Amino acid sequence: MLLSDFLQFALNGLVTGCFYALTALGLSLVFGLMNIVNFAHGALFVLGGMLASVATERLGLPLWAAIPAVLAIMWGLGVVIEAGLLARMRDAHILPVTLVTIGLSVFLVNTMLMLFGTEPKNVKTGLEGAPIFLGDVIISQSRILAIGVSVVAIIATWLLISHTRAGRAMRAVFQQPEAAALAGIPIARIHSFTFALGTTLAGLAGILLGAVFVVDPSRAEPAAVKAFVVIILGGIGSLPGAVLGGLLLGLAESLWGGFVSTGYMDAVGFVLVIAILLFRPSGLLGAPASRVG
Amino acid sequence: MTENRIVLLLLALAAVLPAFVGDQYVMHLLIMTFFYAMLSTSLNLIVGYVGELSLGHAAFLGLGAYTSAVLSTEAGLPFWLCLPAAGIVAGTAALAVGAITLRLEGHFFVLISLAFAEVLRYVVMNSVELLRGPLGYPNIPAPSLSFGGTVLADFASKAHFYYLGLALLAATLYAAWRFARSSFGLGALAVRENRRLARAVGIDPFRHALVAFVAGGVLAGIAGSFYAHYLTFVGPEVLGFSFTLSALMMVVIGGRGTLLGPLLGAAVVGITLELLRSVNEARLSIFGILLVLAVMFLPDGLVSLRWRRRPEPAEESPTEALDSPLRS
Repeated sequence: MLLSDFLQFALNGLVTGCFYALTALGLSLVFGLMNIVNFAHGALFVLGGMLASVATERLGLPLWAAIPAVLAIMWGLGVVIEAGLLARMRDAHILPVTLVTIGLSVFLVNTMLMLFGTEPKNVKTGLEGAPIFLGDVIISQSRILAIGVSVVAIIATWLLISHTRAGRAMRAVFQQPEAAALAGIPIARIHSFTFALGTTLAGLAGILLGAVFVVDPSRAEPAAVKAFVVIILGGIGSLPGAVLGGLLLGLAESLWGGFVSTGYMDAVGFVLVIAILLFRPSGLLGAPASRVG
Repeated sequence: MTENRIVLLLLALAAVLPAFVGDQYVMHLLIMTFFYAMLSTSLNLIVGYVGELSLGHAAFLGLGAYTSAVLSTEAGLPFWLCLPAAGIVAGTAALAVGAITLRLEGHFFVLISLAFAEVLRYVVMNSVELLRGPLGYPNIPAPSLSFGGTVLADFASKAHFYYLGLALLAATLYAAWRFARSSFGLGALAVRENRRLARAVGIDPFRHALVAFVAGGVLAGIAGSFYAHYLTFVGPEVLGFSFTLSALMMVVIGGRGTLLGPLLGAAVVGITLELLRSVNEARLSIFGILLVLAVMFLPDGLVSLRWRRRPEPAEESPTEALDSPLRS
C-alpha cells in the first residue's frame, strides 16, 4: 500500500515537475544568455494557458491545432517584447531592466484579469477517456499527454541548442559575448531568438498546465518565483540543471505533500534551495558561484 | 539649491501641511506616503548605495511589523519599546541573512534574497499556533505619549500619526544621510562603482555591503513597526513580495543612490496610483505601462533630470575616476 502510494505521488510529482522544468528551461535560457532576471516569465506562462483556453473552449479548435497556433503567437510576442523593450536596454544596469520586466508582468497580469476575469480557465483536450491503470497507479490521459509533450519539447530544445547553427551561436554568446560578436555572430538576432524561444517554452508550459489542471492570472507571480527556485536548484546557467531541478522540485513537493503535510508544500522548494546552496553554492549542475573581485 | 536643502524644505513644508489639509483621506494618503518613503529609503541603502538588488526587503519590514504586533498585543509593551525592538529584530535578521548571502555573486544574491523572504512568509502563514498564521494580529494598540501623568498625545486623530510618521521619516533620512557620508557609505559607493578597484585600495566589499544591509534592515523594521501601529493590523502579507516591489519601484523611479530619490519616488508613485483610481479596472494595467516607460526613458530616476548622481565615467580622467567614490 505504501509503495503504491509512493509511486502515485511520484508520478503526480513528475507531471508537476514537467511544468516546472519547461518553465525554468525558458527562464534559464533568457537569464543565462541575456543576463535578464525576467519577472514577466510567470505572466507569459499564464498567457499561454489563457490563449489555449480561448482557442479550445471559445473558438472550438482541436488541441493539435490550438497548440501550434498559441505557440506561434507566443513566439511573435517574444520577438516584439525583445525588440520593443529589452533590446533598447541591453547595456543598462540590472535594476532598471528587472524593473521593466516587473512592469511588463504587472501589465500582462492585470490586462488578463480585465479580459478574462479571475475565474480559473481550463484547456479542452478532447481526452476525456477513462484514466489508465498501471498496477495500483492511476494516470489520466491528459497527464500522459503533458508528460509526452514536455519530453518532446525538452529534447527539441536540447537538439536545437546542441546541433543547429543557431544553437551553436547561442552557446557562443552564452560563453563570451564579445568574442562571439567579433566572430561575426549577430548578437541582436540571437537575443531576439533566445527571448522568443524562452517565451514560447513558458507558453507551452502554461498550455499543458491548463490541460491538466487550470490556469488563472494569480498563478503568474508564484510561477515566476518557482521557476527562479528551480534554476538556482539546478545551477544558474545550466540548461540540464534547469530540467533536473524542475523534476526534482516537482517530486519533492508531491512527496512532501503526500506524506508529511500540504501546508508547507510551497516552501519545500525554498528549503531545498537553501540546503543545496549551503553544500553546493553553485546548484546541482552549475559552475562555481563565489565572488572573485 | 543642494539636494539636502530640498529635502529639508520638503520636510518643513510637510510639517505645516496639516494646517491646510482637513480631509482625513488625504491625511491617510500622506501618512502612507511617509511610510513608503521610509521603506524605500531603507531599501535604497542596499540597492542604491551598495548596488545589490535585494528582493527580500519585505522580510525585514514584516519582521519589524510582527515584532511590534506580538510585543504590544501579547506582552502589552508600549509602542516606544516596540519600535526599537522591531529595529533590533529586523537588523539581527539582516545581519544573519547578509552574512550568508552577500558573499554570493550578484544574480545569486537577487534570487536568494527573494527565497529568504518567501520562506519566512510561508513559515508565518503556516505557524497558526505560534504566530496566528493567516489570521494575523488585529487590534494593535495605538501609541500614546504622556509626561508625568498628563497625556500629551493619544494618537486618536490622524494628525498625531502624521507627525509621528514625519518624525520617523526625518530620522530615517538623517540616518541614511549620515550613512552615506560615513566612511562605510563612501566605501559602499566605491564598491558599487568599481568592485575590483575598491578592493585594490583596501576596501572590503563584503563588510561594507553587510553594514549597509543591516542598516537597511533596521530602518525597514522601524518602518514596519510604524505600519503595524498605524493600521492596527498585521498579517502575513507584510512579508509579501508586493511591498519589496513597491519600494523598489519608488527607489528606481525617484533615483537610486540619492537622498531625495526615494522621497520623490514614494510621492510620485502614490499620486499616480491615486489619479488612476478613476479608471478603476484598467488601473494596474496602465500603471504597468507607466512603470515600463518611466524606467526606459529615465533609468536614473526623476532626480537625474536635475542632479546627475555623478559625472559620466567617460568624461573623467583616470585619476578623477579613482578619486570619485571618495569625493561624493
